[in-house]
Amino acid sequence: MTVAFYIMAAIAVLGAVMAIALRNVVHAVFSVLLFFSALAGLFILLLAEFIAVVQVLVYIGSVGILMLFAIMLTTKVTGDPTRKLLSRGWAWGGLVSGALLLAFLVPLITQSKSESNSQLSNFNPSVKDLGLTLMDPYFASVGVIALLLTAGLIAAVVAASSASGE
Amino acid sequence: MNNFIDYKLIELGQWTVGLFNDYPVVQILVHLLLATLPLTLVFMGAFGFSTWLERKGLARIQNRLGPNRVGIFGLLQPLADGIKMLLKEDIVPDRSDKLFHFLAPVMLMVPAFIAVGFLPLGDGLMALPMDSAILFFFAVGSLNTIAVFMAGWSSRNKYSLLGGMRAVAQMISYEIPLVLSAVAVIMFSGSLNAQEIVASQQIQSWLASGNLVKEFFGQILGWHIFKPWGFAGFIFFFVAALAEANRSPFDLPEADSEIIAGHLTEYSGFKYAIFFMAEYISAFAIAGIATTLFLGGWSGPVIAGLPWFIIKMFSLFAVMIWIRGTLPRLRVDQLMGYAWKFLLPLAILNIFVAGFYYFAEQQFGSLAAFIGGWVIGFGILQTAAKGLSRLNKSPTLDGKRVYQLVE
Amino acid sequence: MEITLNHYLILSAVLFTIGLIGALTRRHIIIMLVCLEIMLNAANLNLIAFWHFGPNPILLHGPLFTLFTIAIAATEAALGLALVLAIYRHFKTVDLEQVQDLKE
Repeated sequence: MTVAFYIMAAIAVLGAVMAIALRNVVHAVFSVLLFFSALAGLFILLLAEFIAVVQVLVYIGSVGILMLFAIMLTTKVTGDPTRKLLSRGWAWGGLVSGALLLAFLVPLITQSKSESNSQLSNFNPSVKDLGLTLMDPYFASVGVIALLLTAGLIAAVVAASSASGE
Repeated sequence: MNNFIDYKLIELGQWTVGLFNDYPVVQILVHLLLATLPLTLVFMGAFGFSTWLERKGLARIQNRLGPNRVGIFGLLQPLADGIKMLLKEDIVPDRSDKLFHFLAPVMLMVPAFIAVGFLPLGDGLMALPMDSAILFFFAVGSLNTIAVFMAGWSSRNKYSLLGGMRAVAQMISYEIPLVLSAVAVIMFSGSLNAQEIVASQQIQSWLASGNLVKEFFGQILGWHIFKPWGFAGFIFFFVAALAEANRSPFDLPEADSEIIAGHLTEYSGFKYAIFFMAEYISAFAIAGIATTLFLGGWSGPVIAGLPWFIIKMFSLFAVMIWIRGTLPRLRVDQLMGYAWKFLLPLAILNIFVAGFYYFAEQQFGSLAAFIGGWVIGFGILQTAAKGLSRLNKSPTLDGKRVYQLVE
Repeated sequence: MEITLNHYLILSAVLFTIGLIGALTRRHIIIMLVCLEIMLNAANLNLIAFWHFGPNPILLHGPLFTLFTIAIAATEAALGLALVLAIYRHFKTVDLEQVQDLKE
């Protein structure tokens, strides 16, 4: 478990760093796919099997592919780097993010005691439980999400097609 | 009597694992090898056999003889092909992205073999016995798209890229009707577990009755394909599966008359062979999952278990070959329109029909639901299909065709 | 050493910051969308970790919440990429620094 966590964490951090550091856009998207798959592994370690599957299906299978498609439709298809990599205010951005990281990490590292025993050992959540919970108390939320997805789909089609009409 | 081959195989496996009781580490390794190695070998063998079958079948359809020089009936042809592929030079284009060019075949083959692991080959014969195997299967299947894109993009060749983009567009479009037509089955069986889905297609009360005739038909009549929504769902699933596996008539990504060989253009030698193998293995996997979902999986009279699964899977594969020999290739716009404007609405309608069928079965008994379902449910589906095809009719095909001749 | 909740929280904080750095410093529009996805995923990891080590996992709050987040993130990605296409067709660039005009 411990070793698996460290391996997955290393892959995730590596993928994320490569995604923001590589100049070639297509390479960046492929490394973010690596990051997504490492997160799916972490979800399996946390016993959230279904979320891991959804992660693979949605993020790797659709969002990643959509990004690659968008690159193919916009820049030069080789994904060659743009002339300038960083934005004008990059120093400020880096500074703010670094400060935020410190603000996140200091309390986490200085805090000595931490929850380590999981209540999940005697309860293995199945997809069926998840589905039943989704249908009983959270039915309204599912409806809202369905509405949102439909609206998003229509909006995406309109946004992409009105541009091509010009 | 039933499933005895499965039980013998499981016994053999347990006996082999039992030999290593004194060495726990070795035992785990042996266990893993027993789960994966036979599967890999069997499917590699099936790949070799199916290339022979495809060439021979296509040849007969086209009034040729097909391979007949190597071995009896040309049966050793796959072996000869394999040796030829291995000995060929591996050419990597100069300006290609070397890493991704190398990774693409691997990325295609690994998910194909993992997907095979989720197939319930027999009672208890499953390499990866997961509770939500069907879901995992579709998740793994969606990884193919990435590999094909990788191959097309990294070759630095416009035909490769065109083929890759076509493949990506096709695969993500057809994945939706594929999953939606499987949803009807999952909803009806109330489970994502492949073994439970197979069990839901056996009429348990008939199997336990002791009557030989009833036992015989109890293994057959419960298959989902005999129900109206199952029949329609099977057709949608199979059409979408043909597109997912890049089989004819949906083999646009490698349409050799338009874009050479699509994403395979810059691949040669062993890498090409790996691509070829991955495509066949995923075609097998998808035929296997169609068998599980609609054709009763491993259930069947007399020799239930592994033999029936293999027979059904190969029959579906033979149908794929038959279709390849019969139908011409689609155009790109026809391909996308077919998925989004025809298959998708019908697959959604099919889910509703399956839901009504489920409640009709509980209210009025299975026989009434069966007859009513075929009359009403199938009627609705057929009317919808006719209406959709009328709506989608492309205006240029109406009336008389006008041919413009070169003067 | 046993893996505790803090390990996951630290990992998630690091990933979130990497995403934030990318979003604030890169100028390619698609990379910025990628960075948004990284940040959302880091948040999802937090949700699942809290659920796993939390007092009442049987209520399945973590996976449910993550499921909703993933659905929203998928919508956001689809819509964002459609907007990227619209912007590209209009301004002929994917460099966000050059997309400055409100009109025309």
